[in-house]
Amino acid sequence: MSLLEVSDLHVWFDLPQGQQVHAVQGVSFALDPGERFGLVGESGCGKTTTILAMMGLLPPSATVSGAVRIDGQDVLAGGEDSARGYRWKDIAMVFQGAMNALNPVKKVGWQIAEPMAFHGVATGAAARRRAGELLELVGIPAAAGERYPHEFSGGMRQRASIAMALACQPRILLADEPTTALDVMVQAQILDLLTRLSSELGLALVLVTHDLPVVAQTCGRAAVMYAGEIAEAGPMETLFHAPRHPYTRLLFAATPDLYGDEEVVSIGGAPPRLDRPMTGCPFQPRCDVVLDRCAGQHPALRLVGAGHEAACHHTEDQAQDRTERVGST
Amino acid sequence: MIKRGFFALVTIFVAITINFFLFRVLPGNAVTDLSRVPHASPALRHALLTEFGLDKPKWEQYLIYLNNLAHGNMGISFANQQPVSHLLLADLKNTIPMVTLGTVTAIVLGVFTGVLSAWRRGSAPDHASTNLAISAYAFPTQWLGLMLLILFAGTLPAGGMSDPFLFTAEPFWQHLADVGKHMILPAVTLMLTTYGSFTLVTRSSMLETLGEDYVLTARAKGLPARRIVWRHAVRNALLPVVTLIALELGFIVGGAVLVEVIFSWPGIGLAMYSAIGQRDYPMLQGGFLILTVSVILLNFLADLLYFRLDPRITA
Repeated sequence: MSLLEVSDLHVWFDLPQGQQVHAVQGVSFALDPGERFGLVGESGCGKTTTILAMMGLLPPSATVSGAVRIDGQDVLAGGEDSARGYRWKDIAMVFQGAMNALNPVKKVGWQIAEPMAFHGVATGAAARRRAGELLELVGIPAAAGERYPHEFSGGMRQRASIAMALACQPRILLADEPTTALDVMVQAQILDLLTRLSSELGLALVLVTHDLPVVAQTCGRAAVMYAGEIAEAGPMETLFHAPRHPYTRLLFAATPDLYGDEEVVSIGGAPPRLDRPMTGCPFQPRCDVVLDRCAGQHPALRLVGAGHEAACHHTEDQAQDRTERVGST
Repeated sequence: MIKRGFFALVTIFVAITINFFLFRVLPGNAVTDLSRVPHASPALRHALLTEFGLDKPKWEQYLIYLNNLAHGNMGISFANQQPVSHLLLADLKNTIPMVTLGTVTAIVLGVFTGVLSAWRRGSAPDHASTNLAISAYAFPTQWLGLMLLILFAGTLPAGGMSDPFLFTAEPFWQHLADVGKHMILPAVTLMLTTYGSFTLVTRSSMLETLGEDYVLTARAKGLPARRIVWRHAVRNALLPVVTLIALELGFIVGGAVLVEVIFSWPGIGLAMYSAIGQRDYPMLQGGFLILTVSVILLNFLADLLYFRLDPRITA
């Protein structure tokens, strides 16, 4: 049994006009302690929605189906009150743009200590002491807990929100674009910090980002999301060197490489609209290797190697080719 | 902080100056009115002019006025020859409890309904509360006051501040209860006409705050909804409300004129109302002074409160 198991997660958002947007369409993945998993994709592909759904934090206009299991126990099954017990205690989150993730009128130390009492971790002076230790752990002097968020730099705020996420010793940490608002130096420090914490504390880390190099630097495994689905998932090495989904291949080609002299190729077109039912492969209109059946038939996510999955009709072909070849000889 | 205090003082000084000249540029002067008596002679006119110092040049009058003010002397009422400062002080003592009661309940009610409305946005109670607040805000004070007067005239005292037939020998608490009973209608009128704006501003400010990332953080922390609303959201949402409260409070001391006239509440508003009728300039000037100074002081207090509420603001 994995520590974290997300299975067949779907999210629909109600639109004011009575339509629905199918924002997340059957996402599944599993994580073991200490594992770092990347969730990559362009804006609006459902990565943030996925992790907000995992914590039960979506607005009331969202309908969620599927299961999020921690040690085999479904977090979302018991409704808001039971989900609240898991939040921060088992599964905590580092938000994008730590500037606004911290309450501007409360001292940083207070904000770190606040959830401890609610989850029975520590109260009063013990909670304050622990908040100071957590700040030290992320490289901020404990005394800085007496200051307000606006007195922190961007990098310090992001560190402080990581310290805050660790307040109740969670086993799973969801990080939503934790480095997006930061400059490259600070970005590298934050990624190092997250990597170190996950190794030292055995934290399972889900890193959500649109930034492929960030995932490559941090995660052992990743899933590439497109139009609310996982297009391809597998070990980082495999995704990088032997991608099986054209979107993964094009995404890497669209990432500038400091050392290489390869030209950056952008992917033409835009992701499909999610407020109408899709037939066929969602990536088909932008794909450079379209097959006849891509327009009419939706490719299922299938195993294409060790721990490597892809949702592309080409993978069926190769599988088929192989069986055909085996059959003919 | 010191800078703000200094600015408040400068503003008060400017207000005093404008106040002084405002009454001097009015057509006619106090003496033409006072000397409009049978057998008035130019000699009487002249005597009055010298008595009130109105024969001196304007700048000298202004200096004398400032000097008197500095000594707490606001002049003598034309109407009853009493020192204005004593009269206004007595009126202020009557106004402050009534206005405070009305305003504080309006603020508490307004903030409370505003927060609940935003929290349960789109629900039936939210719609009801918002519509009620808009209606209350839209009612003119005099209309609402008269309606309450008609509805409750039998059950509650309709005017004045105390029962003249209650003798002084009665125990103290009975007088207090009597004043309290008289205070209900004017205070409720004041509350109803002002609480709406507090509700609406609190609600919109809360809606904005509830959409902030740190509220999502608070939810992610697994905190109970009540704590998220009151400890994280309200604290931030109250910042614009504090400004409104300061503006409204200053306005209310003046706005209480209508309420005090309707319910014959012997406060500063009623005093100013009658001073206008009697062309009692020193009294009016004093009343205006108290209004302007209270607006400026309350705004200064709101600034101080802001410092306490929002750590991002530094002197």
